Amino acid sequence: MRRLPVYILIDTSGSMRGEPIESVKVGLETMINSLKQEPYALETVSLSIITFDSEVKQVLPLTPIDELQLPDIYTPESGPTHTGAALELLCRKVDQEVTLTSEGRKGDWMPLLFIMTDGKPSDIQLYNRMIPEVQRRKFAGIIACAAGMTARTEPLKLLTDKVYSLDTLDSTSFKSFFKWISSTIALGNRSVGATDELELPPPPPEVNVLL
Amino acid sequence: MNRKQRLASRRHMEAGFDQLLKRAMDCAGVPASDRQDFLNWAVCNEWTRFREERMNKRIMIENRVRNLGLRFPNGTVKKEYYYEFALPTDEISDVELVGAEDTGLHLEQVADGLFALKGRPMNVTDYKLTLRYRTVAGEPASELVVPVAFNPNPRDLWKNIPTNEKVHYYKPDSAKEYVKVASAEGKAPRKNMVAVSQRGRSHAQEGKPRDDHFGLCHCDESDWYILTVADGAGSARYSRKGSEIACETVVDYCRGQLRDNPEFEEAIRAYQADSSEENRTDVTRRLIHILYNGALKAHEAIRDVADANEEVKMRDFATTLMFAICKRYDFGWFIASFWVGDGAMCLYDAETGTAKLLGTPDEGEFSGQTRFLTMREIFHDPDIVARRMRMTIVPDFTALFLMTDGVSDPMFETDLNLRDYSKWEEFAGKLRDGFSDDGISGVTLSDDSEAVADGLLGWLDFWSPGNHDDRTIAILY
Repeated sequence: MRRLPVYILIDTSGSMRGEPIESVKVGLETMINSLKQEPYALETVSLSIITFDSEVKQVLPLTPIDELQLPDIYTPESGPTHTGAALELLCRKVDQEVTLTSEGRKGDWMPLLFIMTDGKPSDIQLYNRMIPEVQRRKFAGIIACAAGMTARTEPLKLLTDKVYSLDTLDSTSFKSFFKWISSTIALGNRSVGATDELELPPPPPEVNVLL
Repeated sequence: MNRKQRLASRRHMEAGFDQLLKRAMDCAGVPASDRQDFLNWAVCNEWTRFREERMNKRIMIENRVRNLGLRFPNGTVKKEYYYEFALPTDEISDVELVGAEDTGLHLEQVADGLFALKGRPMNVTDYKLTLRYRTVAGEPASELVVPVAFNPNPRDLWKNIPTNEKVHYYKPDSAKEYVKVASAEGKAPRKNMVAVSQRGRSHAQEGKPRDDHFGLCHCDESDWYILTVADGAGSARYSRKGSEIACETVVDYCRGQLRDNPEFEEAIRAYQADSSEENRTDVTRRLIHILYNGALKAHEAIRDVADANEEVKMRDFATTLMFAICKRYDFGWFIASFWVGDGAMCLYDAETGTAKLLGTPDEGEFSGQTRFLTMREIFHDPDIVARRMRMTIVPDFTALFLMTDGVSDPMFETDLNLRDYSKWEEFAGKLRDGFSDDGISGVTLSDDSEAVADGLLGWLDFWSPGNHDDRTIAILY
C-alpha cells in the first residue's frame, strides 16, 4: 500500500538535555495520537525519527503509524551537533525506504521532512554539501524549526524556505509545534500534484514564521 | 513406630549430628571454647552467600526475560487481537499479565513455554501492562513493563460533511446518469451507458467538494456514443470546475464533429475493408480533428475561464481527461479514444478473454503525480497522437470502462496489473459480486436504468485502506 513517508530529524545535542527533550517526547506522543484520530493519516502515514548530536541515529525506521511505538530518545551531556551527518543519513534512509512507482509497484506519496534544532550545525561543510542532496530527494515539503534563542536560522534557510521558530524550549511550545506538524501531515498527501507548493495550515501563536 | 519411639529416634540422630560437627571442628583444630562463635560466623556467612546467589540467579533470569525484547504489537479497537510469544518456563513460573483485564485481553498459556495475549481490545488507549512472574523460591516476584497501544478503527473515524452549497463552482457530492438507447422494433437490444461519481472520503471528512466529473452522450442523430471522465487535481483550488468544463467541452465538440461527417464514416468503412497504411492514415488524420481538437478545445475552454479572472491561474483548474467515441457498424464496433492523466480506460471482452487498455496512464515516481490537460506542454508533445490517441475495431465487447484513479488505484494498483486480462476479469467479478464482508452489493449491468445507476453508486463506496479519493466510473455495455 502506498504510504506517506514522514521523516523527523531531532536535535539531541547536550543543550536539549532535560526539559527540552522531555517536552519534545511529549510533543511527539501528542502528534502521533492526533494523527491516529485522522482516518486517512492512520491508514497512510509512516514515520521515521532520526536524532543527531555527536552521533546520528535513526531511532525509528520508517514505520506505519498504527504499528508504531515511540522509542526512547537520549541526549548526551554535551558535544557537537552533527546536522550535516543527519542529512546524510536521511538521504540514505530515504533511498532505502521510500518506494518509487514502477510498472509492478505503486509508489509512495512524496515524503515530508521536519527538522528541529536548537543550535547550529557543527559540521557546516558536510551540511552545506548535503543540502543539494536533500533537495534532490524531492520532498513534498521541508519544514525547519529553530527552537529557542540560541538556534541559528541562517543554515536552515539554505535548506528550505519554510523556516519557523520557537521562542522557548518548553512543553507548551513543543506541544503546539507538533500539533501543527500533525495537521500539516494530515493535509500532506493531498497537496502534491498540480501545485509545487506544499500548503501549510496557519501556525499556532507559539510558532513564529521567519521571512 | 509409635510417637515415643519416633521422638527417641530423632534425639538419637541429632546427637549423632552434634557428634559429627564436633569431630569435624576438632579435625580442623577449632578449640572447644571457639566452637560456638565459629559456628555462628560460618552459618551467617554462608546464609548471606546463599541469599546473594539466589538473588543473582533471579537477576540473571530477569535479564534473560528482558533480553527477549518482548513487544506487543499495537491492536485495533474491537478487532480480534492475538499475539503469541515464548517465555522460558523452565526458569520462570506463575506468569501473569497485570493490567490485561482492563484492556479486554487476557493471557493464556497455549503450549509448554508458549503464551498468547488474546481478546478484543475495548478502548483506544496506550496501556502499560506488567508481566509478573516468579523465578527462584524465596525471591520476590519479578516484573517487566510492556506497553501496548490500541488504535481506533479508521472506518469509525470517517465523517461525511456535506459540501457548502455556497462554495464557488459548487457541484453535488455525488452524481449518476443512465443513458438507455432505444432499439428499433424487432431489433436486438442496443448497448446502454451508465456513469456514477462519488466524492471521496478524504474530501467528505473535511466537507470539501468532489473534483471528479463525467459526461455521457448518445448522439441520436449520428448514433455515436461519447463517454468521458475527468479527475480534478486534489491540490488545485478549482479543479472541480476544470473537470466539469473538460467533460462538457469534449462532449459538445465531439457531438458537433460527428453530427454530419460522411467522410469520416466512409474512411472508417474503407479502413475496415482494407487496413492499408494509407487508409489508416486517413482515419487517423480525421480522428485528430475530432479527438485531439476536442482535448485542445477543452484546454482552451479552461484557459478562457482562468483568463477571465485575474486571481486564478490555469493550474488552479488542473484536471485529467479521458474520453471515447464509439459506434456500431454492420461489421462491428469502431472505438477511438484520447487520454491525458491517470486512471484507466479499457475495452473488456469476456467472450474473447481480452482487455485492451486504451493508452498508458501518466504516472510519476510518486503516488499522485500525473499529467494534466491544463498543462500547455501536453499539446507541444510531438508524440501526442501516438501516446494518447487509440482506435480499434472489434466485432463486439462486454464493456468499455472509463474510471478515475479513485477506482483504478484500489482495484488495479499498478500499470502491470492494468495490462493483465485476469485482473480485469477479477474486476468484473468484484463489480458483479460486490464485497459481501463490507455489506457492499454487486451490480448487474442490466437494462433497468434506476437499478444500475443506484447500484453502481452504492458499489463505489467499497473499502480499500488508504484509497479514499473521489471515484468515478463510466461504462458502455
